[in-house]
Amino acid sequence: MSKVESTEKVIKTICMDHCTTACMLQVYVKDGKVTRIETDDGSPGPQFRACVKGRSYRQMLYHPDRITYPLRRTGERGEGKFERISWDEALETVAAQLMRVKAIYGSRSNILLTSGGDFGYLHYGGLIDRALVKIGGYTGVQGTVSDKATEFAAKASFGTVHYMGASSRNNLLDSKLVIFWGFNGVVTKCFGGHTPSVFTKLKETGAKFFCVDPRYTETAAFLDAQWIPIKPATDAALAVAMAYVIIKENLQDQEFLDKYTVGFDEFKNYVLGQEDGIPKTPAWAEEITGVPADTIVMLANAYATIKPASIMDSFSPGRTAYGEQFNRTLHTLVAMTGNTGVSGGGGGCGGMTGWDPLRPLFLCNGAHVHMSGGNNPVDLASPLRKEDLEFQWAKRNPTFAMPEPGHYYFGGSTTAYLNRVRVADAILRGKAGGYPADYKLLFLVTINWLNQYGDVNKITQALKKLEFVVTIEQFMTATAKYADIILPHNTLLERNDLVTSPLMFTGYRTAVADSIGESKSMFEIAQGLASKLGVDDSMEESKSMFDKAEGPEPKVRSTGLLNTTEEYWLKQGADSLELDVETLKKDCIQRVPEDVPQKIVAFSGEINDPENFKFTTPSGKIEIYSQALADLENPGLPPIPKFIENWETKDDSLRTRYPLMLITTHFWRRTHGRFDNVPHCKELERQSVYMNSIDAEERGIKEGDMVRVFNDRGQTVVPASITEKIMPGVIDVPEGAWYDPDENGIDRGGCPNVLLSDIPSPGGGLCTNGALVQAEKA
Amino acid sequence: MQMGFYFNQELCWHCSACLVACKDWHDVPPGPGSYIRIAVIEKGKFPDVFMAAMFHTCYHCAEPACVEACPVEAITKREEDGIVVVDPEECLGMDNCGACKDQCPYGAPQSIDVEDAKMQKCDLCQDRLSAGKDPICVGACNTFAIAVGPLDELRKKYGDVRQAEGFEYDEALSPSIIFKPMIDKKNRTVQKTLMIPGGN
Repeated sequence: MSKVESTEKVIKTICMDHCTTACMLQVYVKDGKVTRIETDDGSPGPQFRACVKGRSYRQMLYHPDRITYPLRRTGERGEGKFERISWDEALETVAAQLMRVKAIYGSRSNILLTSGGDFGYLHYGGLIDRALVKIGGYTGVQGTVSDKATEFAAKASFGTVHYMGASSRNNLLDSKLVIFWGFNGVVTKCFGGHTPSVFTKLKETGAKFFCVDPRYTETAAFLDAQWIPIKPATDAALAVAMAYVIIKENLQDQEFLDKYTVGFDEFKNYVLGQEDGIPKTPAWAEEITGVPADTIVMLANAYATIKPASIMDSFSPGRTAYGEQFNRTLHTLVAMTGNTGVSGGGGGCGGMTGWDPLRPLFLCNGAHVHMSGGNNPVDLASPLRKEDLEFQWAKRNPTFAMPEPGHYYFGGSTTAYLNRVRVADAILRGKAGGYPADYKLLFLVTINWLNQYGDVNKITQALKKLEFVVTIEQFMTATAKYADIILPHNTLLERNDLVTSPLMFTGYRTAVADSIGESKSMFEIAQGLASKLGVDDSMEESKSMFDKAEGPEPKVRSTGLLNTTEEYWLKQGADSLELDVETLKKDCIQRVPEDVPQKIVAFSGEINDPENFKFTTPSGKIEIYSQALADLENPGLPPIPKFIENWETKDDSLRTRYPLMLITTHFWRRTHGRFDNVPHCKELERQSVYMNSIDAEERGIKEGDMVRVFNDRGQTVVPASITEKIMPGVIDVPEGAWYDPDENGIDRGGCPNVLLSDIPSPGGGLCTNGALVQAEKA
Repeated sequence: MQMGFYFNQELCWHCSACLVACKDWHDVPPGPGSYIRIAVIEKGKFPDVFMAAMFHTCYHCAEPACVEACPVEAITKREEDGIVVVDPEECLGMDNCGACKDQCPYGAPQSIDVEDAKMQKCDLCQDRLSAGKDPICVGACNTFAIAVGPLDELRKKYGDVRQAEGFEYDEALSPSIIFKPMIDKKNRTVQKTLMIPGGN
């Protein structure tokens, strides 16, 4: 029986492990050992209570599978055979390989691929970038796998990717009607740890709720929403048909459209069929989406007449074949109903939580750019990429030189950068395939690439082809097994850092335990690497991109690594927030003061004070018709939003062989691939393929049966969970389960990414939803 | 005095923070044994469905079946607060006996994955209560759906609803829990109940 003992210390720190939802942990430590964990007891003010992941972090910290010393591969790539080496030898090897590849092939042949994990303001992959820019740079990756389509659409419609044009979540409390569109916010919280508490209040407002989703979600149940099941990758068709109903019944806010938008008439011509002879009627959409025509009429009428109305969508409908069209059609619907710039309105912004001017160091914004090296020589030497709208606008309006959330990973807009989704393709095809270089070395930082990107089997081939692979990791992931050198990374409980969460607070993360074994923080690893690379690491003063946007006087910015300390950077970070680092450390959380405006309404300036605030599109208005898109001359990116059918469902042969549509949702007990190996999380619910009883019966599949899910790209074997909460014809294999191939190369871990394609949407996004598959009893 | 639970079913989506916090606090190893279990109840047929979650633990019954069932009087109900506790020194062990588990309609007695497991279950975090703190599950709940306190005070504050989706109030045992229930207005048929933890 545990006792509350006076010999125990309680240390407050911040959990945030790739989830963007920072919560407080109160960690009990006895004799240097973590014994148990409490969360925020939150008086006063809003509370940041941890989920199952934060609560089980002791098992992450002391996991028997933690990599505790540097490793060198001894077996074949992927075999998982390694030997222990010293840090000295490991870093020397990595440095020598980087320099060798640079000398023989040029800096472009070194790729740096980073992702999230348990990062913070200081300790993240940007520190490796800091070291690599000093040796001539590297090939970076552009965009994210989360939200590329949403980002692209926001640029086209609004001229910004500032939080994709989202308002703060508490705007929903002013809504009279909310359509949850592919958004399971009570589970994912998506960029707002306070989402469940807002939803709790939302239940009481008496607003009307709809859930447009292939699944009946926890959010739908929580809010007693009316479920409108829809086939994946057809959302734009529903939105276009809603526009048809609104136009036919003359419910659009024409005055709003005339004043704030351009191109509604072109869109109207398309919707009414004057452009292509096909009126986009509810009957037309019923066939595509599976949503009954009368439901579409009802939904359109409700949405157009009950105001303000919000569409609370997520990134996920955008992660489809022509995902940009989903967000673009929603932007148009929102403007048609005069819901842009209105509290309680909005939509099409991918579930983001509106931007907070008080928190410029939001982890996905300034923080990453702040710590990264900038000025990658490989990037600077390359021409701009034609299809990137952002750079066109950046040239026109210096504000957009400011790093935006889409630039999480110091990605650039030149042809040197690889689309994040196409890295394997670039490695496999190189110059002969039209890429700027032949790629030889891959530096992976806190990323389980093979598990989390499209087409696992293709990525496997790419990993085998490379001359050298290094990864910074905590566990022997499927990806790490392909590394030549593994550098052991510590966990968030072993580091000091700053963490900020949108609209809510800034937190000081205090190390509660020493690093396990010989594992190190990112700062320590980057310093060690910089030292071995022998880089000129003197402190430099330069204009930060971030500062340039913030004010006329550029602040001093250091690009040094070797001569600085963790304390130096944490103080810098706190200073830039005008917070005292010692106070922050003591309190752990700096809550947003009550006298600060807590609500942000996206585009309220542009709508209420258009003289002073113009949309930063070329026309200065919301662009339903985008000339910039027209100039791209890409039929997949039409100047007005359109429904374009998924290239897979359009293929009769594919549809016959693979009649089921796959979605790969975020699983409640994981953050992507994180926590899948943590016992207290893993045992909660097993990885499954969720299918409707109708599809199961057709295939003779019973609850718990092992099911083979397959297509031309791969196969995975996973137990069946038969449910009425998913529409027939759609199956869900939640993403993030650890890829685990058997001796025949068949995945037994339930990793759906073996089934996904690496062909991005035209705007560059990973298509995680809508792939065609078949399922059979294994 | 009788301590008890209030559970707001409308605010529970089975996030299970309470369950994992409980396992962490009481050092309960991975495995199906868990003082708290969550049932996810699915009702109806596509597309007319209903979903609710139910919080399962020891409800510290007024007339506990486990106390009656125990052959060695290892389980007792405390006079001062009505909390039902087990003495591991006296318990014959789940491999040898398990009579309590057979008799409890709520599945509260747990067999934890350790050698010669004695019966374990929720003791309302006596250690925390005596230090003036709420049980660990209360402060873990992300949506503030759980309260623990003297049952009569809870009834005054929250009413005396004794039924909820996925819960049968046993008059003879009088479990010490009240609810704000989630109501299935259409009274659909249960299709499936998923228990958490549900194994790998």
